[in-house]
Amino acid sequence: MSYSAKFKDHLAHPRNAGELSDATAVADETNPICGDRLRLSLLVKDDRIEAVRYLAYGCPPTLVCGSVLTELISGKTTEEAKQLTRTDLLDAIGGLPSRKHHAAALAIETLNSALRDR
Amino acid sequence: MPARRVYLDNSATTPVDPRVAAAMARAVVENFGNASSVHGFGQQARAAVDRARREVAALIGAKQNEIVFTSGGTEANNLAIRGLCEATATHGRHIITSSIEHPSVAGVCASLEKRGWEVTRLPVYQNGIVKVEDVAAALRPETVLVTIMMANNEIGTIQPVAEIGALVRERRAAGHRHLWFHTDAVQAVGRMRLNVDEIGCDMLTMSAHKLYAPKGIGALYVRRGVRLHGQNVGGHQERERRAGTENVPGIVAFGEAAKLAREEFDARRAHDRALRDKFEKVVVERIPDIVMNGDRELRLAHLSNISFRFIEGEGLLINLDLEGVAVSTGSACSSGTLEPSPVIRALGVDDELARGSIRFSFGKDNTEDEIEYVVEVLVRAVERLRALSPLTLV
Repeated sequence: MSYSAKFKDHLAHPRNAGELSDATAVADETNPICGDRLRLSLLVKDDRIEAVRYLAYGCPPTLVCGSVLTELISGKTTEEAKQLTRTDLLDAIGGLPSRKHHAAALAIETLNSALRDR
Repeated sequence: MPARRVYLDNSATTPVDPRVAAAMARAVVENFGNASSVHGFGQQARAAVDRARREVAALIGAKQNEIVFTSGGTEANNLAIRGLCEATATHGRHIITSSIEHPSVAGVCASLEKRGWEVTRLPVYQNGIVKVEDVAAALRPETVLVTIMMANNEIGTIQPVAEIGALVRERRAAGHRHLWFHTDAVQAVGRMRLNVDEIGCDMLTMSAHKLYAPKGIGALYVRRGVRLHGQNVGGHQERERRAGTENVPGIVAFGEAAKLAREEFDARRAHDRALRDKFEKVVVERIPDIVMNGDRELRLAHLSNISFRFIEGEGLLINLDLEGVAVSTGSACSSGTLEPSPVIRALGVDDELARGSIRFSFGKDNTEDEIEYVVEVLVRAVERLRALSPLTLV
């Protein structure tokens, strides 16, 4: 498969990797079929996402979706973050083959789970 | 494109040797005749094909009229298994194979299963090797074929083919007349010294592009006396076993590659082994939480299969590729369905290890300097992916 330059950049240089020690919300979701896993920790203050970190295990699209997602939601209000869809994430990555869309679905699911966790 | 490129995927295919390419280029221009034509042009092409056939036969200790050229290993496996089973169908419909065969063997067996043949798939154990006593126990009066690979393509483990060959011959001598033994030797040819009489096989599959020749040409060794139904029909080529105008340039390339493989066998094997051993030694020293897959001794000298805990193979593969290093992984993820390597799974390891397996396969053109570069890139990539992995959380 050929991946976009942006995809490769995020794979080689993941943004916001790790965990927040002062997180106000944490979500950890696993795709039950393939075992891919994404973990998000958020620091939310006054309904704004002030900091975000992620950890991921799985195929490259899962790793990249986590990284791109953290850039998309950093600094956003929780209401803005809730509006984010799988399509928005796929667009931000520059598209993925349909058989890899599950990676974006896992990322959005984990985000929504974290936003519920607060 | 990365500044530096290192090819460590020689089990997938090998770079074409310039000497092989030169021989092939000459054949394209000079031996354009149809090898079946009676005139001089045809006879010249026929002579080139015959010379190549002698070289390929010599590589495995066969006679030249026992070599059937095909389009590659997959076609040779199809011809061997389906051709033999169709020819022996009135004597029995049972096949014995292993659980770690290449898809071109496993797939043909599965297709025959749908058409009424029974297939016994023998386990391999933690070391990735079939047990001869399991083969003996699986034999039935209606067994017509045992097809077990010489060396595995993912982990390189060498199967006890000579013992299996002896068992099959012994049973045949005792009255089991329609029992035959095929081995897929695609990964072994040129990497191990092979002799079809010592192995005791009735058919043996080869592919030229694993031997520094181009793709599109392979061969099946068929011992004299073995009856096969041709799968390509409509011509008399290859003694009625494979109809179609001969791929003369491909065959010439295969012949040249076989000759070089024989002449340079010892040097190539020592070179590959030295690089592989150096690589493994440094990787073990520098990267914790890894598992080497497959038997440590009974394996091909040019191949190393390693599982890296906490990370997934494809992510590591692409990270290495971004730095110009080419390797392969047996696991694949598609449509949200995980398909960990069936070979690694057959070793009885957990999903995480099966997903994190990477094959490094070395070749005659690799250098020590390249190995040092690969180790540096690998250490960094594994650290980066592990820093990202939630599996490292306690």
